[in-house]
Amino acid sequence: MLKVENLVAGYGKVQVLHDVSLHVPQGTLVTLIGSNGAGKTTTLRAVSGMIATQSGRITLNGAEITGLAPHAITRGGLAHSPEGRRVFPTLPVADNLLLGAFTRVTGSRPKGDVARDLERMYALFPRLAERRAQLAGTLSGGEQQMLAMARALMLNPLVLLLDEPSMGLAPRLVEEVFAIIARLKSERVTMLLVEQFAAAALDVADFGYVLENGRVSASGPAARLKDDPAVRAAYLGAAH
Amino acid sequence: MQILAQLIASGIAVGMIYGVIAFGYQLTFATSKTLNFGQGEALMLGSLVGLTVVSFTGYWIMLPIVLAFGLVQGAVVERLGVRQAIRTKSEAGWIMATIALGIIFKNLAENIWGRDALKFPSPLPEAPLSFMGVNVLPMEVVIVFGALAMMLLVEVFNRRSIYGKAVVATANDRDAAGLMGINTSLVITFSYSLSSMTAAFAGVLVAPVTLTGAAMGGALGLKAFAVAIIGGLSSGMGVVVGGLILGITETLTGYYISTGYKDVPGLVLLLLVLSFKPSGLFGSATIKKV
Ligand SMILES: Nc1ncnc2c1ncn2[C@@H]1O[C@H](COP(=O)(O)OP(=O)(O)OP(=O)(O)O)[C@@H](O)[C@H]1O
Ligand SMILES: [Mg+2]
Repeated sequence: MLKVENLVAGYGKVQVLHDVSLHVPQGTLVTLIGSNGAGKTTTLRAVSGMIATQSGRITLNGAEITGLAPHAITRGGLAHSPEGRRVFPTLPVADNLLLGAFTRVTGSRPKGDVARDLERMYALFPRLAERRAQLAGTLSGGEQQMLAMARALMLNPLVLLLDEPSMGLAPRLVEEVFAIIARLKSERVTMLLVEQFAAAALDVADFGYVLENGRVSASGPAARLKDDPAVRAAYLGAAH
Repeated sequence: MQILAQLIASGIAVGMIYGVIAFGYQLTFATSKTLNFGQGEALMLGSLVGLTVVSFTGYWIMLPIVLAFGLVQGAVVERLGVRQAIRTKSEAGWIMATIALGIIFKNLAENIWGRDALKFPSPLPEAPLSFMGVNVLPMEVVIVFGALAMMLLVEVFNRRSIYGKAVVATANDRDAAGLMGINTSLVITFSYSLSSMTAAFAGVLVAPVTLTGAAMGGALGLKAFAVAIIGGLSSGMGVVVGGLILGITETLTGYYISTGYKDVPGLVLLLLVLSFKPSGLFGSATIKKV
């Protein structure tokens, strides 16, 4: 569904990703793990068009999206819940969610039933339901994280990119977030998940990639990666 | 007392004009952190185009034509003067470019309509109405309600329609708005269009009371800029209050001190605000330090 081939990208003259290839098949949950600064966020940003790619090829559902503007890629069906939440602080929760469906409401994606999907999000994230009229900027960090995920889901995406949905959350909320990810997986939402909590990510994922200094250093079925001694030593021992 | 009330009434009309132009500055600042320093020229062009059109159509049918002209003129300014600067993250490119475009528009206007001040036919009787001894021109009443209506309409659009929400989202966080599928470059072009449209509207509101002409934009644009700073570049209410403060102090100074000094108090106020509350009396965003 999402294919990244030999991606080279960075910021200005600084090259961060050297040759990254990964594949997210339809209906699977793929996780991308790696230490701080490895280039996980940069990978997601290149995929969704937030930064330019220097070379390589990215396809979404068979169509090439390399070099397109972010809005065009979203219109192609890719949703990205970015690092740092990035909710719209001066808009209420309900409007943030509605904007997640902007392309559906304005006709560049199949419309479906936006109102029903809103209610689905409120059922999935009950905290948001209680706060639908509250300005997003006044939500707690955890609530903003939920909002960012729900907003991305409102696209009814072909592929959902999640950048550290557990960042800065209390342990109980982290569990809640992973439970929601597991639930989305059971609904066969195609996802690429970037996570600090490598063990938890590999538990829930089908397939994993390990990123090291802008290169894929290991990849394989999640269960096998979890037992890989090198991966265990580098990412699973220290993470918890 | 009578005179004071009279002066305040005149000041309110002038102040609302400043306010609505300043509101135009806010529109582009919100989405792009840039301003059209040719905003006064957008007003002047709107007014002169209105003057030409009004002889064929009459005042009220002229209005939508001038508004449409403003939309196009703003888009031209954004495409020619601002887009490239935003794309290359140039700190000052847009300042020079919008000033240059303003000068070009002024020269153009001088060649088409001449350099003299021109009379703009008033759609309403020019005899003042009297409210408890205070004389008010009917057109001044139209200015106040027209300016308020324009700002209110934009506010309602932003709050109620999905496209308005997309504008607010772009103002909040441009990258995140792009991820929603919003074409944020188009949103910025649109905010320039809207900004010039409000200026053009202000131009045809004020012209029947003052005069029009190629030179009318400079002072109005500058004073409205002062109002935008005084009121704060992010506060819709701020520009109304800021505009009223400036409009009223001007007419008061003009009468009680000397018309020669009428611009001074507003500029002193501007300097005070800049030194003590740079985000404006009501604002929270500051102009980026270059
Ligand atoms: N906006 C930026 N401008 C310049 N360099 C950047 C920028 N963002 C990230 N980098 C650099 O790119 C490299 C990869 O960063 P990236 O954010 O992709 O890492 P990450 O794997 O997501 O790390 P983390 O787990 O801390 O989120 C780092 O060396 C970082 O300093
Ligand atoms: Mg990151």
